Amino acid sequence: MTSSSASSRKNLSKIACNRLQKELVEWQVNPPTGFNHKVSDNLQRWVIEVTGAPGTLYTNETYQLQVDFPENYPMEAPQVIFLNPAPMHPHIYSNGHICLDILYDSWSPAMTVSSICISILSMLSSSTVKQRPEDNDRYVRNCRNGRSPKETRWWFHDDKV
Amino acid sequence: MASNGFGKSTTSFSPPSPSCSGNNNNDAGDFECNICFDLAQDPVITLCGHLFCWPCLYRWLHHHSHSQECPVCKALVQEEKLVPLYGRGKNQSDPRTKSYPGMEIPHRPSGQRPQTAPPPPPNAAGANPFGNIGFGLMGGFIPMATASFGNFTLSTAFGGLIPSLFNIQFHGFQGANVYGSTAGYPFGSNTFHGGGNSHDFSQGTGQVQRQEDNVLKNLLLLIGFLVLLTVIFLC
Repeated sequence: MTSSSASSRKNLSKIACNRLQKELVEWQVNPPTGFNHKVSDNLQRWVIEVTGAPGTLYTNETYQLQVDFPENYPMEAPQVIFLNPAPMHPHIYSNGHICLDILYDSWSPAMTVSSICISILSMLSSSTVKQRPEDNDRYVRNCRNGRSPKETRWWFHDDKV
Repeated sequence: MASNGFGKSTTSFSPPSPSCSGNNNNDAGDFECNICFDLAQDPVITLCGHLFCWPCLYRWLHHHSHSQECPVCKALVQEEKLVPLYGRGKNQSDPRTKSYPGMEIPHRPSGQRPQTAPPPPPNAAGANPFGNIGFGLMGGFIPMATASFGNFTLSTAFGGLIPSLFNIQFHGFQGANVYGSTAGYPFGSNTFHGGGNSHDFSQGTGQVQRQEDNVLKNLLLLIGFLVLLTVIFLC
């Protein structure tokens, strides 16, 4: 099998490849609760199933996260989006983009896919209403040409959800 | 490069290529860089205690980060306060193997070396080596009842160092005392280098008579010595 889906992007550097393989091994030994990595041969794009935690608005709902790694991972954050349908959440746009600071400005190379997943599940779990962000329509319209969320200038204002 | 044969079931996964298998035992994890997750190369440690490869940390701080923060804990990182770790092993591979393409990584910061410890004061320097030797010998050989051997060594050592009449005589009867009592008092030899103070013999319990004799003889010798000194001085 070839990784055709990743052909448009630059291949992972050797360091990125090494690190991702280590992360994958670690994931398989000790996956974060509520997540399931869908097996594929593509190291550069992970698809991860996330199941809403019990006792939250998203209990037993399953969504899919798509994680794309840049050539310079982990120096640069991966691009993380929800595949359609994205959960209804005040910080998740209908095109799957997630407003979460660690995915952009606050990324640190010491973070891992696993730690990102936990942050996202935590974000879902602390939600009190199932609704889209206020500016959802405008934002999604702006992204119609397939813009990556990493090119968005995010404004992180809400630390409660 | 992106596809490395991960199409196996998750349970039976095995590291797919030797280049990344490394050693996955947990012990090595203590020495893995927090950025590349490999065994740290040119390791440096921040004041907050987090370990990185120097090239990884340099690259993060200078080319990707917007702030001088520790990637793990966000504490301020000052390059001049990084501590390099110098292990025993030599770099088997060319350090440039971890080069980041198109990037010049300067040498990692060198260790900040405090000045060497000051030498011990002259008094201690004179007495301690012999005390230590004596202690070692006595401790080692007492089970074989060769206390005399240790004492003998000490005596000759001292005699050689200060070949004065006083010292030689003193060791003469110090020996007699040690033969009788040292077996139970391996530390007797430690007081030996006190240089003829009477408390040397206070440990010889059960030999009070001989002790008193020794003290008297010692005192006599001391007086004689002082008289001798005075005579020499007056001349």
